[in-house]
This record gives sequence, C-alpha cells and structure tokens, in this order.
Amino acid sequence: MKMIKAIVRPDAADSVADGLAEAGFFSMTKIHAFGRGKQKGITVGTTHYDELPKTIIMMVVEDNDVDEVLKLIKYKAYTGNFGDGKVFITPVDYAFTVRTGEKTL
Amino acid sequence: MKEIIAIIRPKKVSATKSALENLGFPSMTALSVLGRGRQRGIASELNYEVSPSVSGKSGGMKYIPKRLMSVIVRNSDVDTVVKTIVEINQTAQIGDGKIFVCPVDDALRVRTDETGENAVI
Repeated sequence: MKMIKAIVRPDAADSVADGLAEAGFFSMTKIHAFGRGKQKGITVGTTHYDELPKTIIMMVVEDNDVDEVLKLIKYKAYTGNFGDGKVFITPVDYAFTVRTGEKTL
Repeated sequence: MKEIIAIIRPKKVSATKSALENLGFPSMTALSVLGRGRQRGIASELNYEVSPSVSGKSGGMKYIPKRLMSVIVRNSDVDTVVKTIVEINQTAQIGDGKIFVCPVDDALRVRTDETGENAVI
C-alpha cells in the first residue's frame, strides 16, 4: 500500500476529488495547508506572499493503483503555471478499518 | 519507529486521547480534516440534522468533518496503540475511520538534539 499526498491548488481540489471518484477512488482526506515552493511564494505588484493556501489530498491505495491515481491527479490539477503543486508517495505498512478492526483498506 | 495515522470521528478524540495517555503515549498531533470513505460521504453519521439543501439528492454530503491524529511510536508499541484506538472508536456504524501505519526513518528532538527512538520516548 502507498500513501499519496498531493498538494494542489484549493480550487483544483474538488475537480481532482471528483475525477478520482469517477475512476473508483472514493476514499480521500482533504487537509487545508499553507506553503511555498521553489518560487518562494508569489509577488503581486509590490506585495510579496510568502505562503500560499493549498489543499493536501491524502489517500492510501494499493501499489498497482498508484500509477492510475497519479495520472488522474496530473490531468486534473494541471494548469501549466507555477503553483500546480507536488505529489509525494510514501509507503504504508498496514491499514486498519476501525469499525471491523480488520487489516484491510 | 512507526507513524500511526488515525482518521476518527471528532467526538471520539478526547476519549482516544485519554486512553492513549493512560497507556503512556501522551504525545500526538491532531488535525481537523475533511474526507470521505468507501460510502462516498454520508450525512447520517452526524448527530445533528442536516438540511436537505446541504445533503443533496443522495442524502449524503461530499466531505465529512474528521480528526486526523498522528502518533509516532516504537515498533514494539504499534499493536497496543492500534488495538486501543480501534477499541475506543468502534461504534459498529460506517464512518468509524481508518488507521494507517507508516514507517518513519528518523526523528529529532529539537531541544536536546536526541535522534532516533530516544527522541520519541
């Protein structure tokens, strides 16, 4: 199992979530966050914004689904401008469903 | 070391916290998150009325407010912590949440420069 943490634009988060749901990946968690990337924030006129609001979409999927989820996120979150976000993939040892207490995703 | 990420009902947080405290795991990080599970979001798990305009046609809602708790423990403590969280949070209804166990390579306590397991205990 892998955990996919996609840091995307807040306005793209819903379209990413809907796109994933259409493909059968309903389960996800949305976290509001602030951050900056390689461009060190953004300067509009004379104002410099150091940290920009972002949404983290966190989901845990089976290993063989990772590529499909990545493709969907890339397609839905893409605008071509700086600030489209990053996706991190980390290993998950186990997942438990609390209701049943079973070791299943 | 392992990171235990539990996504649970907001009203179960204090019970979970005190149970973990009694076991000797007082340190944790909590985040307020929104999410949905395999049932694609449901309104019935909320203990207050949701107006039809919010809940939509299907009777569900898109995202459900949840709490994400993250606890870092030693490998040997993973089973105890997971078992406790499961016991406290079971209501036998959908929406009880998920627990993920992820590996952690290293940790650092900023105050004392301790690394590894010493930083966690």
